[in-house]
Amino acid sequence: MILRCLLPFAVAALPALAATIEGRVALPKARAIPVVNQRYEIVAKAGVLSTNPPVAIVYLEGAFPRPTVPPAAQIVQKDLTFLPSLLPVQVGTRVEFPNQDDAFHNIFSFSPAKRFDLGRYRADERPMPAQIFDTAGLVTLRCDVHEHMRALILVLDTPHFVITAPDGTFRLTGLPAGRHTLKAWIDSKQTKARPVVLDDASAIRVDFP
Amino acid sequence: MSAPVELEANRVAGFRTRLLVATMIVISSVTLLGLYFGERSLASNVEADLRREFQAELTALREARALRHAGLVERCRTLVRRARIQSAFEDDALDLLYPSAENELRDIMASPVDPASNGPPRGLHAQFYRFLGRDGAVIATPNSRAVGSLTVTEAAQIALPALSAAPQTGFLTRDTASPEPEVFEIISMPILSTDTAEPIAALVLGFEPFAVGQREAGTGMKNGVLVRGRLHSPALPPASEALLAREVKENQTAPVRVELDGVPHLLFAERLNPGSLYAPALEVCVFPLGDLATRQARLRWQVLGAGVLLLLVGFGGSHVVSARLAAPVEKLAVDSEANRTQLVRAEAALEMTSAELQRSARFSADASHQLKTPVTVLRAGLEELLTKDNLTPEECAEISALIHQTYRLSSLIEDLLLLSRMDAGRLKLAIAPVNLSRLIEASLDDLGALPDEYELKIETDFPPDLHVAGEKRYTAMVLQNLLENARKYNRRGGLIRLFASVEGGVVRLVIGNSGRPIAPETQARIFERFHRGVMGENLPGYGLGLNLARELARLHQGDLRLLRSDENLTEFEVAFRQSPPPSVPPL
Repeated sequence: MILRCLLPFAVAALPALAATIEGRVALPKARAIPVVNQRYEIVAKAGVLSTNPPVAIVYLEGAFPRPTVPPAAQIVQKDLTFLPSLLPVQVGTRVEFPNQDDAFHNIFSFSPAKRFDLGRYRADERPMPAQIFDTAGLVTLRCDVHEHMRALILVLDTPHFVITAPDGTFRLTGLPAGRHTLKAWIDSKQTKARPVVLDDASAIRVDFP
Repeated sequence: MSAPVELEANRVAGFRTRLLVATMIVISSVTLLGLYFGERSLASNVEADLRREFQAELTALREARALRHAGLVERCRTLVRRARIQSAFEDDALDLLYPSAENELRDIMASPVDPASNGPPRGLHAQFYRFLGRDGAVIATPNSRAVGSLTVTEAAQIALPALSAAPQTGFLTRDTASPEPEVFEIISMPILSTDTAEPIAALVLGFEPFAVGQREAGTGMKNGVLVRGRLHSPALPPASEALLAREVKENQTAPVRVELDGVPHLLFAERLNPGSLYAPALEVCVFPLGDLATRQARLRWQVLGAGVLLLLVGFGGSHVVSARLAAPVEKLAVDSEANRTQLVRAEAALEMTSAELQRSARFSADASHQLKTPVTVLRAGLEELLTKDNLTPEECAEISALIHQTYRLSSLIEDLLLLSRMDAGRLKLAIAPVNLSRLIEASLDDLGALPDEYELKIETDFPPDLHVAGEKRYTAMVLQNLLENARKYNRRGGLIRLFASVEGGVVRLVIGNSGRPIAPETQARIFERFHRGVMGENLPGYGLGLNLARELARLHQGDLRLLRSDENLTEFEVAFRQSPPPSVPPL
């Protein structure tokens, strides 16, 4: 939901004429019957982190200029879970971690892409604990207090990315023309790639089988 | 008299002694048997009690240890679930492992500053910890101060050949300056991957072992840990440790008796870490049995004391019992002895009397027999002399008187002979029915045939055909004797009264005469042999008639007695048994 709000903001900075890619990523099967209130939880199997139900992140790789104003994003801790549990951000994004629970949380990451430890804090903690993610890579968020809480931040060196729908379909808009590589991050060990050639205002379809 | 009684007293005393000895033997054997079995049962009970005490203590110890172990394991489990530790492995941040663990394990690590502080027992605090990598080897730490120092060999002891999903318990021995090495209980807790639940690492914590050598139990139990073939127990000297280690190696976990410093001990061993990947460790507990020996000895003395008391009581009791039992026997013995003495004397007297009697009877018989022949010869001579023609009438009268005397003499000899036979018991009666009435008539006829110088009057009253049981000649003799007396002792013109009656199968014949009465003082002696009445000195007779008559009557199972003797009449009554008349009258 927050992601959807952020996406137009990210695209708005781009030139008016832009290409669009539509497609579908073949997703692994969900581990269990999804619950009605669909949240994405981070699960791990054989050391591979992914979401459940599975979704993928599709992004366009290429040499894109860094944003002048650092983009911002949020991962909320609510009901002892991270929301969202999977967050793609552009390098340099400042992510805030508001605590909306009555309990303490202590978010930390031992991931090589970003190591940090926010220490314990409560809901009314100001300034809002936040981190700037300036290295591309996958960051695993954990809460020191609640061992089961887990979230993933995929730091990307591109402003063009989107999370697929649970059925794997995606649509990337406002893409610059040129030769690029379209990638689909499926889980921590699996990222698929496709070279794409984009014209202005072209609309192409790319599927990741 | 006193010698046999004394002898008897001795025999009775012997009997009493034997009785006492027998009772004592019975009591002693019963008591000894009772003591033997009682002692055995009690001793085994004491041992069983002691074993139960040991078992109870051992069970308590093991339960406490298991509880502590479970607590420690649970604590370790909580620790390895800590997000930072988990993250260090899962997010490939081993450089942050020990720094994070330092914070996470701060609570469980023993304070190095004051080990004897008032805090929780040291046993619940870890002395050191290390992480094992996926291969089971120790992950090196940059800062060993916070994690507790371990030498290379010690680190090798905590390494595992491979990771296991289950917690592993083992023991680490550390050589120290003192001869007694330190022992640590180590718990290896696997760190499971949150995704696969497979062990990706392990946390090994070292604790002081539970209660090793610190325990001072009521039973005097001492315990230790046997690991890598060596027993570690601060409470036991090294020699004992080696001995116990050998015993345990031989007997495994079976309880055995061992001698430690000359004191028997009961040894129990139990595997502390069954199924562990670490070196096998056994808990070894020894209980001193010296207390058992003391208790058993005390018990034995008590039982012995009770036994002696029982025996004394038994001996006293048996003495009393034997005395009481012997008393009637003693009395019986004395009585029977007295009786026996009397019997012997009586027998002797009887024999003497019998011999005298036999002698006198034989004398009478011999005398009569010897007299009979000369009297017959004398009479024959006299009768021949009487037949001579040249005799004067005076001479004839004289010879006739002499012949009469020989007849008296013969009669006397016959009587004596008869008496002697009766005395000797050789007279056998041929009992048959005798017609008494006819006998009386015949006797009266004879009486009437005698020269009647007395002018006697005879009164008779008897039933005809009166039969009695007897032998005719003796019955007649009785009758003749009585009638002869009645005539002989009568007065001139006197009366002879004879009457007979039957009463209850007894025939009573009363013969009375009106002669002078018999003086009362002599009445009792008239039936004695050779007794003659005072008035009859001038009368023929030798005092044998009444005696003979009575003896004969008695031989016929009857009797003769003096019925009365007064101025009017002197009456004798002779009794015979009545007999039915013979079926064929005698010819």
